Amino acid sequence: MIPDDPRRPDPDALLAAHRPGRGRLKVFLGMSPGVGKTYEMLRAARRRKAEGGDVVVGVVETHGRRETQSLLRGLEVMPRAPIDYKGRTLLEFDLDGALARRPALLLVDEYAHSNAPSSRHPKRWQDVEEILSAGIDVWTTLNVQHLESLVDVVWKITGVRQRETVPDGALSQADEIELVDITPAELRERMAEGKVYLAETARLAADRFFKVENLTALRELALRRAAQTVDDQLMGAMKRAGVEGPWAAGERILVLVGPDAMAPALVRAGRRLSDMMMDAPWTVAHVERPNARPASTAAAQKLREALKLAEQLGGATVVLTGDDLVGSVLDYARRNNLTQIVIGKTRLRRIPFRRTLITALLEGTTGAALHIVTESSETESAAPVVRRALGPVAWAGHAGALAIVGLAGAVAWLVDRHVESANLAMVFLLSVLVSGLAFGLWPALLAAATAALVYNFFFLQPRFSFVIGHPADVFTFAVFFAVAVATGWLTGRIRDQSRAVSRRASAISAVLAATRRLSAAAVAQDAAAVLAEQLAAATGAKAVVLTPVGDDIQIAASSPVAETLSAGDMAAARWAWEKGEPSGARTGTLPNAAWTFRPLQGVKTRAGVVGVEPSAVATEEGERFVAALLDQGAVALERAEFAAGAADAEALRRTDRLRSALLNSVSHDLRTPLSTVLGAATTLIDYGKSLTPKVAQDLLVSIREEAERLNRYVGDLLDMTRLEGGALVTRRDWIDIRDVLGAAVERVKRRLEGRTVDRDFPSELSMVMADASLLEQALVNILENAIAYSPDRTVIEVAAYEDRGNVVISIEDEGRGIPTTELERVFERFRRMDEATDRGKGAGLGLAISKGFVEAMGGRIAAASPIHEGRGTRILISLPKERQMPGGLL
Amino acid sequence: MTAYRPRILVIDDEPQIHRFLSPALDAAGYEPIRADTAAEGLRELARKAPDAVVLDLGLPDLDGKDALAKARAFYAGPIIILSARDRETEKIDALDMGADDYVEKPFGVGELLARLRVALRHRLQDQGAEPVVTVGELTIDLVKRLVTRTGEAIRLSPREYDLLAQLVQGGGKVVTQRQLLTAVWGPAHEQDVQYLRVFVGQLRQKIEPDPSAPVLILTEPGVGYRWMG
Repeated sequence: MIPDDPRRPDPDALLAAHRPGRGRLKVFLGMSPGVGKTYEMLRAARRRKAEGGDVVVGVVETHGRRETQSLLRGLEVMPRAPIDYKGRTLLEFDLDGALARRPALLLVDEYAHSNAPSSRHPKRWQDVEEILSAGIDVWTTLNVQHLESLVDVVWKITGVRQRETVPDGALSQADEIELVDITPAELRERMAEGKVYLAETARLAADRFFKVENLTALRELALRRAAQTVDDQLMGAMKRAGVEGPWAAGERILVLVGPDAMAPALVRAGRRLSDMMMDAPWTVAHVERPNARPASTAAAQKLREALKLAEQLGGATVVLTGDDLVGSVLDYARRNNLTQIVIGKTRLRRIPFRRTLITALLEGTTGAALHIVTESSETESAAPVVRRALGPVAWAGHAGALAIVGLAGAVAWLVDRHVESANLAMVFLLSVLVSGLAFGLWPALLAAATAALVYNFFFLQPRFSFVIGHPADVFTFAVFFAVAVATGWLTGRIRDQSRAVSRRASAISAVLAATRRLSAAAVAQDAAAVLAEQLAAATGAKAVVLTPVGDDIQIAASSPVAETLSAGDMAAARWAWEKGEPSGARTGTLPNAAWTFRPLQGVKTRAGVVGVEPSAVATEEGERFVAALLDQGAVALERAEFAAGAADAEALRRTDRLRSALLNSVSHDLRTPLSTVLGAATTLIDYGKSLTPKVAQDLLVSIREEAERLNRYVGDLLDMTRLEGGALVTRRDWIDIRDVLGAAVERVKRRLEGRTVDRDFPSELSMVMADASLLEQALVNILENAIAYSPDRTVIEVAAYEDRGNVVISIEDEGRGIPTTELERVFERFRRMDEATDRGKGAGLGLAISKGFVEAMGGRIAAASPIHEGRGTRILISLPKERQMPGGLL
Repeated sequence: MTAYRPRILVIDDEPQIHRFLSPALDAAGYEPIRADTAAEGLRELARKAPDAVVLDLGLPDLDGKDALAKARAFYAGPIIILSARDRETEKIDALDMGADDYVEKPFGVGELLARLRVALRHRLQDQGAEPVVTVGELTIDLVKRLVTRTGEAIRLSPREYDLLAQLVQGGGKVVTQRQLLTAVWGPAHEQDVQYLRVFVGQLRQKIEPDPSAPVLILTEPGVGYRWMG
């Protein structure tokens, strides 16, 4: 196989072309409102309808225009769904109605529309996404200014900032784009004629917006975007066909963002650059420097949003780690063959004591172009002032450093008074060292500066002045200052780094501890409980874990325990479960839910969903911990499920073994007597004349015996079936155990063959309420068993007595007995000892039936063995004695 | 009259089977030898060199197939298997391993004795194979590879002839599907049972007096075919 044959069709391109079961999306794109997108869409829809297509209008805004309304005539228009929001009823597009109706083609106007807050999705394009997934074709309309990556550009052109936006990905997945284009002059004309609908608020901005220059610029954007889509489709076709060509621009873009307000603008710039470079792959990178002070929460939030935006716009994201920002970036760029690097200008001020980032990158970059995006006034003003605030700990560090220097000064003072020309500079250096080790970089530098001043002021001639008298002292002071700063710098950094390392180590050990607990959980229930608990601890919020039960999911564990979810929250959880994407609060789906749900994606399956009730904004580290926890939790749950599945399979195998034992038994136990009957009968028929009378008689006897054996076996099977099927009806009556025992012994008499039966009955015995025929059968089975497992000329002892509230029957034989390990199982079906004597070979049903019958009458049965000198088996049946004898009998 | 009484070794753990089989064999002119276990059976087989063996596959001390393999290691005479209907694969394996025929339990004595006679006759034929087989108007000359009916040649394709020859040489005992496929089409085709269906159908069209009610080539469902000529 040739690994990278450029002529081979790109498999991704092939896949993208055949998204099986997915509807096709067509977008009617225009430069601004009023160009006639809806009108155009409806006309096309009417044509489709006339051709016999199943066209349904999901939602169309006619804005009361007669021309457009008349086009709706004859088309099926879905009613809108009322949505209650803060006491008002809003009429929104009925997503569920559309999914239920399942037309071949659905018209959904205004792609960029924002839904009422309590809708399933905040944005209409997400509704469309769901409809497409359901395999329904969709036509929709869009103005170019609503595209996410063009928000900045449109704002610059028109001065209007769009709030309703559609991610570029939602447009680029369109299978077809139709540009609805008229010239700006025409549009102005139509506006003048009142053909363009404008809302009251928009009317005010209209003059500002609908300037010919603006419209021209927007028209260019729309044209370019449409052309680009045509390009994409052409390229897609070429890739699918394996055509070699110039389409592989080979450009790869890296966008460098930091935790600041410029980040989103940089991300959009990256996307535009990628568009210009024929959809070059682009990556948004953030360099995390372990030694840098963590950014403020607000700034970190901005960064996270920017990374999320990048993903929405179709870019990849990566977080690099390294203290050397420039080195990390260049290294990554080299390793990934990046050709374009985008950075923002604000980052200039971020690196103290170094060349600016731009110069450093310029010097270090080989073969890549550098794009520098400058801040616009809007981002500046919109950006919250992110100033690094020094927290109480930091202030304490600085104060501590000053105290240590003061102490050093005092020590130096004492030493100076008692020791001649001691090297006092060393004392101060020591103070800087200690400050660095104790409080980190900045306190150490403060200590260095202070120590230099104190040393100069108090100990260099002339004293109590910052003037330095001796030229030699100038040199000493300069060296001292340099060494102090270097010492402070180094020790401070060492201390900060070790802190960072230990912080990370503690984070890792927290993950490890959680992992250990999760892997110790053998059952899914335990794993879920551990996961909920750890999640709650990590986020400081309530947490639930939901696992699949049948087709649905249910809460398997929560922290705190017994947490419940509202119907709305459950809906969000189900969504996350079905789609494998986050849902609920702070996500794009059902954001009105109180909880945030995330799917637990295991190695092979989706193991469940976790929900967290978000409270405080999570920190970067906490977020990473949670991510690790979810991964581990998913794997643990999955493993537990597999283990449970294996146990189920084992149980099934056991059932299978039982079934095959039954088949074996039926096959063997029915056929063997039949063979004898048939064989003996045919022998008599064919050769009867040449047989001696004795032999003929023996054959006839064998036929009778085997027929009886067959009858017993069929009876056993029937009894068993009655027991199993729950069809056993007991007709209970007052009976004397002695009578029943006598009848049972009579029935087995012919099979005793030299064995004797001893009876040991008391003269007075209470009556019991029992079914005489069932009890007799139970006793016969036990007696037959005793005969089968004991040698000739032995004694079978049958006894009955009263024991507390019960009447007990005991049947003992003098056979080999039952091994202790088998005692518990003798009453199981198809359990049969190997050593049965010839005639007695049964199906292994007898004792099981006895047990079933006895228990059906409210009695109990047990086996004991050995009973005499390592031999013998005793079966005990106990039936409850009736307290109330019917008066008539006494 | 002291005619030669062929010795038949019956290996079965069910005493009831011996109880009727011994007098039946005796009455039919054979000398029965009884064995209750595989070990005992193999011992008797080595000691008494019986003319044929009736072997039950469900023995307590040794798997029936293992017993068969051990017997075949030193015994070349006919072996007839007693088996239950639901043990199809066991039965086929046994035939493939060298058993001559089988009888399903429960069975009539007449059926067993008929199979026994065929197996014994087949052994005698083996010793001086008949080159020409005649069944009614049909004559099969195994030397000239010629099949004629009332002197008129019947045209058979080479494969049809090979198949027929295999069946005829089976001499009345069942020939398994695998044995036929391996001999006629080669070992690579031992699973291609559909070939057999087609070719047996064609053969019956050509040689059976009434192809819809075959009397010469009988189907043993799931097992193989039997030549009844």
